[in-house]
Order: sequence, then C-alpha cells, then structure tokens
Amino acid sequence: MIGRLEIVRLWRSRRPLIAACSLLFFLVLMLVGFYTYARAETGGRAEFRYTYENRSYFNGLTFALYAFYFGFLLILPIFIATEGGAQIAGDTSRGTLLLSLTRPVSRTRLFFSKFLLSGAFSTLLAGGFLAVSLGVGLLAVGWGDLDLYPGVLQMTDRHQHLEQQQALARFLLAWPAASLALLAPLSLAYLFSSWVKNPVNAVGLAFSLYLILYVIAEIHFFKDLRPWLFTTYMPYWRELFQERPDWSQVSNQALRLSGFTLLFLALAFRRFRRREER
Amino acid sequence: MLPIEIQSLSRSYGRRAALIDLSLTVKSGEIVALVGPNGSGKTTLLKILAGLLRPGGGRVALFGLDPFRDRVRVMARARFAFAPPALFDNLTAREHLRYLIGFHGDHRVSPAEIDQALELVGLTERSRERVAVYSLGMRQRLALAQALLPLPDLLVLDEPTEGLDPLAVLELRAVVARLRREHGVAVLLSSHLMVEVEQLVDRLLVLSEGLCVYLGTPSGLTEGACGLRVVAGDPKRAAPLFRARGATVSELKDGALLVRGVDLDLKAALALLEPAGVELRSFSHYRPTLEQALLERLRAHTAAGRRDA
Repeated sequence: MIGRLEIVRLWRSRRPLIAACSLLFFLVLMLVGFYTYARAETGGRAEFRYTYENRSYFNGLTFALYAFYFGFLLILPIFIATEGGAQIAGDTSRGTLLLSLTRPVSRTRLFFSKFLLSGAFSTLLAGGFLAVSLGVGLLAVGWGDLDLYPGVLQMTDRHQHLEQQQALARFLLAWPAASLALLAPLSLAYLFSSWVKNPVNAVGLAFSLYLILYVIAEIHFFKDLRPWLFTTYMPYWRELFQERPDWSQVSNQALRLSGFTLLFLALAFRRFRRREER
Repeated sequence: MLPIEIQSLSRSYGRRAALIDLSLTVKSGEIVALVGPNGSGKTTLLKILAGLLRPGGGRVALFGLDPFRDRVRVMARARFAFAPPALFDNLTAREHLRYLIGFHGDHRVSPAEIDQALELVGLTERSRERVAVYSLGMRQRLALAQALLPLPDLLVLDEPTEGLDPLAVLELRAVVARLRREHGVAVLLSSHLMVEVEQLVDRLLVLSEGLCVYLGTPSGLTEGACGLRVVAGDPKRAAPLFRARGATVSELKDGALLVRGVDLDLKAALALLEPAGVELRSFSHYRPTLEQALLERLRAHTAAGRRDA
C-alpha cells in the first residue's frame, strides 16, 4: 500500500510531466542545433537531413546518442536530485512524514519504498528519454549505421562503426547501464534529503555537489582525485558504443559506481533511521 | 498495560529544558487534557509519545512499549493527529483514509466504515475533492477522521478544535465522548479552549516551562483557586489584617481583595476589620472559571520562577 500511495503521489505531483516536458524541449533544441550546424557547415547548401542522405556520419542514431549523452550528464541529474530531495525532505517540510510515521510502518519500509519508487522513476525517465531521442532521430533525421569519430563526446580515439541493428542493441543495453549510473546521484540526493529539512536545500546541495564533482572528474588536472569520485564512472556506458566493448572495464566501473550508491544509501538510511522529528 | 505511563520524563534541546521530571498515567477510557502556554513542552511531550523524539531521561511506555524503539507496534494501537494538520494534498479525503488504513497491513476497514468516518466529520459531500483545496477546518476534520480508522485504543489529538466552527467543536466533543463511552478509548488532547476541556476531560495536566504545575481534575483546579472576595474601604490597610490571620491576599482586577487560606464568615470578617477602622463594603465567595484558575496557576508559577532566579 505504501508503494501504491507513493506512486499516486508522484504521478499527481506533476514532477514526471515537468521532467518529460523539459526533456522534450531539450530534444527540440538539440534538433534545431543539429540542423543549424549542418546548414552553417554546408554554407546553406544542404540541411541536416540531406547531410545524412549524403552518407555523412550524422544521422538519427548519432543524434540520439548526442542527445542522451548530454541529457544524461546534465539534465537527468536535475530531475533525479529533485526526486530525491522531494521524497524525505519534502515530506518532512510538509509534515506528511509524521502522518506516515504515526502509522504502523517501519522507517526501513518507508525509506526503501520511497527509494525503490525513485529508482523506478529515474529508470523510466532515462528509458523514455532514450526512446524519444531515437524516435525523434528516426522521424526528423532517419536512421542508418552508427559511425563515431574522436571528438566532442570523447567516446572513442578512433573511428567506430556499428551497424544499425548492432547499434540499436547497444542503445538497449545503455538504458539499464545509464539507469544504474543515475542511482548514484539519486542516493546522494537521498543522503542530503535525510539530513536537511528543506527540500530546496536538499536538491540544491545534491545537484551542486554533483556538478562540482562532474567538473573535477572531467579536468585532467585532478587525475589523482578522479578514481575517488563517483562522477568519474558515471558515463561508463559510453563503452557500450565501441565496436568491441571492454566488458571487464564496463563491469568494473559499474561495480565501483554501485559501491558509491550503496555507500550514500547506507549513510542516508542510517541517518533516517536514527533521526528525531523535531 | 496502561495506554500511557510516564515516569520522571525529561527532555532538553541543547541547554534549554523542554520537559522536567514529568509523570503521568492515562487509563483506558480516560480523557486527559494537556494545557499550557506556547513553549511549555506540550508538543515535545506529544512527539515523545509518538516515538518521534527520544526522552532525555525517565521512562515512557505506551501499552507497555517504548514508543521510539517499538513505534510500529505502538502505532498499531495508538493514533495521533498533530497540529497543524499535515495531509497529502494531492489525494482526496476518501483516498487519504483508504491509503492510511492500508498502512495497517492485514487490518481491513470496509468502505462503509470509511463512509461512516467521513460522515461523522461532515466531509461526505466533498470527499472526492483533493485535500489541497480544503480549508483549515476541513483539514482538521479529515485529520480527525484519519485518526479514527481503524479504531485505536489510544487517541492523541493536538489542538483538535483549531480552525473548527462552534458547531464542529460540539460535534468533536460528542465524538470523543462516544469513543470513550462505547469503545473505552483513552484520549489525550492538547487544547487552548478551556470550555472544551472543562466539559470533556477527566483530568488536566498543566505545563509551564516544561514543569507540571497541576495534574488533577478541572474542578480541583478551580476549587484550589477559590477564596473570599472582599471589598474594603481601604484595601491597603485591610490586606495586612487578613495576612496576620495566615491568609494569602491578592488583588483582583476590580480592586477587590481575594483572600485565601483562611476560614472566615461575614461576622468574623467584620470583627477583624471594624476594630481597625476599615469599612467592609462587600463580602462574598469567589469561584473562578477554569480559565481564570489556570491563568492564576500559571502566573503563580512564573512569579515563583522569577523569585527563585
């Protein structure tokens, strides 16, 4: 019953709708960006669609990958942090946590019901975003094989070629892999949500810390520090788009990321279980 | 096992003591009111009983269980409604009741019982509207309804009449009285409305700055504050004459003297004042309202505290 209650509350909170609309808006902007870029590059002689038809490496799959990559790193964590912050800190500030705690339900059950729901929400959000990115790529651009070159995404240091079916299978694998990665910022948001009473502070803390660690993980100057940051491992799913993925590296990074998730979650749970509701 | 057993309970926030050496027991079917000014420790006490705060010292047991450690088992028998009423704004009243009952695992409450609870608090017609649009009074009614399902053995209500119209206050009083009469439910309620307290409760716990300043029946509080109302020609000369007889004398708002702690009739009062040349203009028994008695008790406690300091 707690699960059902939390689902109804989440659905009616309009957070899923806001997240979906924002991600759609982001996709539209990405699409406009791709079109205007292609036009600028060809001096107005060709549009993005035609550059694909001319067998350029830009196509709907590339578009989906670009959109998902940037969305995963910068947009999805906002909604993940909001979800984490809204759960415990939101209930605390609204006083509804007392309503639940004055019923015969353990803090353990309450905490993990909320976390499971948030995890499912972030998984669906990531899956939905990936599916819509592919759909928009197909409809607005058209699919083909996936060619990746060394460049903006830092996905590869040499040309990679995946046939369409192979690429789609990799996208399918990228969904659970990326969803697993998103559990780390989610559990971080839960940690702050268990410590502070104000959801705005919990979300702000979680997202700003994520951004700081993400930036540090991207700067080579901090290479000694990088192994200790969960953000270093978050884009591990990019490896799946190699012609021959290094599976040991994928599983190793997924395990490390899961370790961070469990650590944040354990700290959050410890705090939630012991804290007083003043 | 008693619904509530508190022995020498204390609790502090940093250096500030919120509750000091408090003891209380509440039996099944008993209604006890918790009264006191803001910051007197009422909410701290209710939160300790709900297992939301740990006691700093002493022992607290609800049905023989520690509410902080055995909260789940305690909540199967006790129900709390805190003020201001916190509710899930995106749910309707009916959904509220259905989902909250669902927290009780295999405990089944029929839709008819939900209808009955909604009718009892006068929310039937608006039970399918989201709580977000409810007024404070309606929220208060729903908070009460949720506290009644499934029927608890102990009901703890924090300011249950806040935001209610006079008719709803009357209805609430009737509901609480019926719960006690028909089901033997123990009720602890915190309230500022002395009229409500006087008509409803068996006993009264008065808190001031974390200390229990009175625990007993409402009539006991008023009787303890009874005395003689004396209007003398010269109150300043009359007061020492009464004090000399061992009385405590204070001045009422209208300038009359309130004389306590001495058994005097009219003849004895005249015999005391007339030889000293003080005219006795009026002599009657003084019986304060519960609210007056409470205020006097609180003022006396504050004054004593200042003297000690």
